[in-house]
Amino acid sequence: MSEDQQKSRNLSNPSEFSDEEIVKSHVELAKFKHEPTKNFLKAPLVFVFVFGCLIFVCSIQLAHSTNSFQLHPPVDVVELTAEEKESMRLEKKISSGEKIFAARCASCHQANGMGIEGQFPPLAGSEWVSADAGVISNIILKGLKGEISVNGVKYGTSAAVNMAAVPISDREIANVSTYVRQAWGNDSVEVTEEFVSQVRSEHAAKQDQWVGDELRSMFSDSFGN
Amino acid sequence: MSEESPDQIIDRSAKYVFSFFLSSAGLWLLAAALFAYLAAAKLTDPYFLSTCEFLTYGKIKVAQANAFVYGWGGNAIFAVSLWILARLSQAEVRGSVFLIFAGVIWNLAITFGLLGILDGHMSGHEMLEMPSEVWPAMLVSYLIITFLALVIHRSRQIKETIAPQWFILSALLWFPALFLIAWNGLELNPSRGTLQTVLSMWYGQSLIWLWLTPVALGAAYYLIPAVLGRTIDKYYLAVFGFWCIAALAPWSVLHHLEGGPVPMWIPAIGTVMSIAMVFPIAVASTNFHSTAFLDIGKVWSSLPLRFVIFGTLSYTVSSYIGVVFSLPAVAKITQFTIINEFHFNQRVYGFFSMIIFGAVYFALPRITGREIPKAAKSFHFWTSTFGVLLLLLAYLLGGLTHGVLAGQPTLPWSSSVIQSVQPYFLITKIAFVILAFSQFVFVINVWRVIFPNPFSCCFSNKKEVSA
Repeated sequence: MSEDQQKSRNLSNPSEFSDEEIVKSHVELAKFKHEPTKNFLKAPLVFVFVFGCLIFVCSIQLAHSTNSFQLHPPVDVVELTAEEKESMRLEKKISSGEKIFAARCASCHQANGMGIEGQFPPLAGSEWVSADAGVISNIILKGLKGEISVNGVKYGTSAAVNMAAVPISDREIANVSTYVRQAWGNDSVEVTEEFVSQVRSEHAAKQDQWVGDELRSMFSDSFGN
Repeated sequence: MSEESPDQIIDRSAKYVFSFFLSSAGLWLLAAALFAYLAAAKLTDPYFLSTCEFLTYGKIKVAQANAFVYGWGGNAIFAVSLWILARLSQAEVRGSVFLIFAGVIWNLAITFGLLGILDGHMSGHEMLEMPSEVWPAMLVSYLIITFLALVIHRSRQIKETIAPQWFILSALLWFPALFLIAWNGLELNPSRGTLQTVLSMWYGQSLIWLWLTPVALGAAYYLIPAVLGRTIDKYYLAVFGFWCIAALAPWSVLHHLEGGPVPMWIPAIGTVMSIAMVFPIAVASTNFHSTAFLDIGKVWSSLPLRFVIFGTLSYTVSSYIGVVFSLPAVAKITQFTIINEFHFNQRVYGFFSMIIFGAVYFALPRITGREIPKAAKSFHFWTSTFGVLLLLLAYLLGGLTHGVLAGQPTLPWSSSVIQSVQPYFLITKIAFVILAFSQFVFVINVWRVIFPNPFSCCFSNKKEVSA
């Protein structure tokens, strides 16, 4: 010991270990853990208890928050009733129809469906809209010319609807006519895509636009007079 | 010279290497302190240097972390671990030329890397922001240094090894492993989607847990017995602590992804593993503190040991706080707040740097044979203690305020949340000024001992350092 101390530098504290001693004494310590004990040791039991608690907490944590090791977070699956599904479908259809109306119809018939007096007939409260679905479908498919009366007011002296030149799918016609038939206080049943395609094929041969009276006589039942 | 003791021969063999790494570490420490101040100043005054494109907050913040971890941390790790390994192996440091050559490359790589960051060429991966062009240079120079450290260890006199050697050697070897995994998964064969985020975060946090932490723990395991002249109390636990850190730490860092867009089991595993980290933390703190408190008077009177014990206390406290913050219930408040800054600074300033300061003050007089004035060391200790505590307290309280207020969606963001957190940013700015001052004192202390007469000797060495 005293030799080692003499060896160590004058700078260092005399009680310091030499590095060799540090290594040797710790190697010894690692070999002999502690003095053999006679009595019962409480510490290991405490540790077992503490570790047990920790493992318990960790397991709970894992079970709760790993989402069973799945990739995607849990999704709350909500089973819709048939009614809810139906109303969601109709809502979607109407909102799609609203967009089509705004893009292609509202410039003449106006966004509020009131048309312009003397020029463009109104759609809100019009008997042409609330009549059989065939009326509105036919008008959109082929167009309408000549004079018509809507709620007793005469229209159609100026422009005519000429739809034959406009490409529009059956689905779009179904959506927009359903929208028109249910907006602004109108309250008529929806128009299905199948119905529109049936109407289209029925009159596939017809080249020119409809005349108001022609339609009125075809669907005289639904006009109610 | 025949009178020299073996220790003196070892110290002489380590002299140039140690001085080189330490003086470059000091310069990086100052650079990091400057960046830290600029970043903190920008948080209190957004218009500060706002016209300078090189110094926007995002670049400065990243440059600070990289300068600190790779510049200061890397160089300090090389200096301290080479010396401790040489001393414990009772073997001389060989290949000084290669070590210094590799060190120059390492420092140049980091310099270019930081310039790249400031120029806007960040890679975008946590703690790997330096442009990928400099990564090969870093890896090669690091491997040279590690190889020569292993050479020292290989030529050890006593076959058995003890705790400081385990920690330091494994840290030296873990870094290239982490680096290669991250490099492969982020650049060479980039993993897709979520995995890249996970990998990037894992690398950034593991770097602190598996590189900086073990070196500091190893230094503490060496310095406490060396100064106190007594063996580590309950030393048989150390091996358990070592393997626990090796096995659990890389898992536990995953808890930082809590609340992120990753599969839920990843942060959940992280939380569980970080709860399990209680064991290695308890082991290390039992080992250190039950030894130190057997002779607390001596701890107080020996300045290197005072630094070390501050560091180990800080390690214990910060790690336990980290465990608490990893719990999902707590993370709900603290995640995505400036508490993250608290973690980082607690680790790198409060723990790693303090222990390295202690190791440097212990080693430097032995290596150079010149003593550092006690008042200067003491001044450094008190300023850095005060600065670190102020910084951490500000980040902790500020982070909690931030978390609690940010969790209330009804509060207007800028007028209530930002304004409540702003005073804490002002405190961190002050703390960074104090820390910069204290680090400046440290660097002066070190340089005065390494270059007692800067105009006559060691001139070539100095030129390399400032490159």
